[in-house]
Amino acid sequence: MKKISIDHLARVEGAGGVTATIDGQTVTEVKFFVNEGPRLFERLTVGKTPEEDLNLVPRICAICTLSHRYAALRGLEKALEVKSPAKVSLLRDLMHLGEMIESHSLHVFLLALPDYLGYPNAVAMAAKYGFEAKIGLEMKQFGNHIMKTMSGRFIHGENPAIGGFGRYPNREELNFIKNRAIQFLPFALRTVQLMCELNYPDIPESETLFVCCHPPGDKFGFVGDEIIISNGDRVDVQDYKKVTNEFIVPHSFCKRSQYKGKPYSVGALARINNLGERLEGEAGRLFKKYYNDRWKKNPLFNNAAQALEILYAFERVPQVIDEALKLEDPAPVKWGRDTGKGVGAVEAPRGILFHAYEIAKGRLVHTDIITPTAQNAEDIERYCFLAAQELLKKGQEDKIRDRMDLVVRSFDPCISCSAHMVQVTKAPADDWKARLRSLTAEGPAVFIGLGREDRSDDRAGLELARRLRDSGLQTVWLEQELAEAPALEKTPGRFILLDAVDFGDKPGKVCLLPLRYVLWNASLSHRLASVLSAPLSYQKLMDSYLLGIQPASILEGGRLSVEVEEAVDKILTALQN
Amino acid sequence: MKKDKLKIGIYELTGCAGDALLILDCEEELLNIFQAADIQSFLMAKSDNIDGELDIALVEGSVSSERDLKELQDIRKRAKVLVAIGICAGLGGLQAAFLDPKEWEENRKKVYGQVEMTHTKPLQSKPIDAYVKVDYYLPGCPIGKEQFLSTLTRVLAGHPPELHRFPVCVECKWKENDCLLNRNILCLGPLTAAGCAAICPSHNLPCVGCWGPAEEANRTAEYQLLLEKGFDREMILRKMANFSGTRIADFAARLKGEKK
Repeated sequence: MKKISIDHLARVEGAGGVTATIDGQTVTEVKFFVNEGPRLFERLTVGKTPEEDLNLVPRICAICTLSHRYAALRGLEKALEVKSPAKVSLLRDLMHLGEMIESHSLHVFLLALPDYLGYPNAVAMAAKYGFEAKIGLEMKQFGNHIMKTMSGRFIHGENPAIGGFGRYPNREELNFIKNRAIQFLPFALRTVQLMCELNYPDIPESETLFVCCHPPGDKFGFVGDEIIISNGDRVDVQDYKKVTNEFIVPHSFCKRSQYKGKPYSVGALARINNLGERLEGEAGRLFKKYYNDRWKKNPLFNNAAQALEILYAFERVPQVIDEALKLEDPAPVKWGRDTGKGVGAVEAPRGILFHAYEIAKGRLVHTDIITPTAQNAEDIERYCFLAAQELLKKGQEDKIRDRMDLVVRSFDPCISCSAHMVQVTKAPADDWKARLRSLTAEGPAVFIGLGREDRSDDRAGLELARRLRDSGLQTVWLEQELAEAPALEKTPGRFILLDAVDFGDKPGKVCLLPLRYVLWNASLSHRLASVLSAPLSYQKLMDSYLLGIQPASILEGGRLSVEVEEAVDKILTALQN
Repeated sequence: MKKDKLKIGIYELTGCAGDALLILDCEEELLNIFQAADIQSFLMAKSDNIDGELDIALVEGSVSSERDLKELQDIRKRAKVLVAIGICAGLGGLQAAFLDPKEWEENRKKVYGQVEMTHTKPLQSKPIDAYVKVDYYLPGCPIGKEQFLSTLTRVLAGHPPELHRFPVCVECKWKENDCLLNRNILCLGPLTAAGCAAICPSHNLPCVGCWGPAEEANRTAEYQLLLEKGFDREMILRKMANFSGTRIADFAARLKGEKK
């Protein structure tokens, strides 16, 4: 077994990593984890005033600080019935465009581009691609400038307040930003060309669901009170939990999300996939030129989508400023009430962000915050798994580490990070034994034997289950009994499916892997129809495992092969000890 | 005689990464300073990082997991001078809101339920000097550019940093701002360490206390002034607690002489 671990993701904002475990021809484990300790923002805001909440929650993340502030403002203002004047909304959009420009240009030019051009970092890239590095840096500085003008400082500025701004930017400051944005346009165009014409690798490619804010009207944008999903569903932001369905995994402090039993992706690629048709001007023209079906299944195109959004932002900034300058600075808006509920959603650079509040008599009684990286975590693991498994199948094991790095970075995860600390370790044979032992030590297990009686080695799972039952184990089911089995979902304990599985390995090879990897891997999943037709929640499936044995033959008739017979014995011994 | 460049490492424990990001945002000045120093490790900026002996380690974030603690102890062993940057490293940060271990555990369970974390054990958030010796502190949430550059320059030259010991009010007066307290707005300027150039009052907004408590000897009098203006004790202390981390108990205790 080999373990590939990217312990510190370099050049990503935040601390986290990915590990992958390879057992023979099979990827048996991929873990995306966030090293950040728990910070408990949802609890430490309770009992505070809405203004204090606004001081605290932007500190969740330095790079998305204004997105957090904007989402909090939208949630709090709904709860307090504060209707912000048109100028306030426009100026908030401007600050948010600044954050998009800052975050996207940092990510595209200084973090992602060195990967595609084959350099360890932006400084090394600058030797040959000085122009790109310089433009990237200048765009980022300009984004920072907008953020500072609108919020008061580079990071965690307090100027955007409930009902307005502490101080409104003057005409001169706004015109300066407008003129600079216009000057950047040719470079923004060039950015789109550069990022859309890169040769993105075609591993991994797999369809997913895309989720983003649905802006009102027919324009592209980053805020809205409705959620749009690429399958056509629309959900009111008040019902955001119907989309996010959070759950916890033990290997990370970052929660997970799934929609209708599937992982989903958020971020620039989700926005372009769901709303790209709405882009106008140069961004609209280049969208039509470059967009194709691969954008729907390849996460690496997120970098191209970010470039389109950079162009959109530079085209939008002058329009927003022209509209804002027509309006007077409004007086602060007073609270309509001091008790109520509200959910605010905005698109942070890396995806949809929810802030939900419940306020009673001017104090917060409940806070729920769902960040984009938490929503992406499950798809990050899935795409990493697919990349690793496909490269392994193609005999390109040496490419796995770098490709996983590329995949994770393409999601632009919001976690404070570092150097490639990647280890590839050869582990002893029969890794499944230790993993099975720790699984069964964690809690009760329910074994389900799968297979067909009349097909030689395909009987292995059934045979194993019968022999486990004969040994006195109560919690064992055979595939043909599942229809009459008590409600599977309610059966306590973790499912461990026993089955003959074609891993493309030596006959008798045993692998233990999470069931969801099998579901993600189309070539293996068709054999699990009987289990999948049972009404199991995603969380139950995600907690289930498959203990598979590589068959020698699954032809009709015949007995178990010697190798599979031996494997069955080994598993029985392991489970009985 | 050619002198070797000083070796610097910049590290992030649990926090928002805002202090490291602010250092990254120093761009041009940073290039000048980096000519005088050798950046061995800066996770946010580069991938070829080395974990060796250091002249200066800048550490951001609080200790909130066993992993943080191990990393911190390793950094301390390797560094001649350790500077805590930002209020998470210096005071425990926003995440040090629950000081009672039982209360912390209850709230942690409310967020994460009963799931036991396998990758690292969570710890109640503490400032880094709860575990290792810290040579210098740089306050702020995030740290300010001017203070950072002057501190780094001084430490590079072998001198201790010179930080303001007076409260935000002094900087506010320099800017000739109208005092928000006179408009009956609870501003924490009198109790908060200066260094941000009174940025919030300069935007007609009250100071939120994000530089942590001021060291000024006269803080009891400042606190008394707020009480005399009619502001609520609970409100003042709660707002101060937002950014004072584990130091709030000590801060409250030192406000002696307060007239009830």
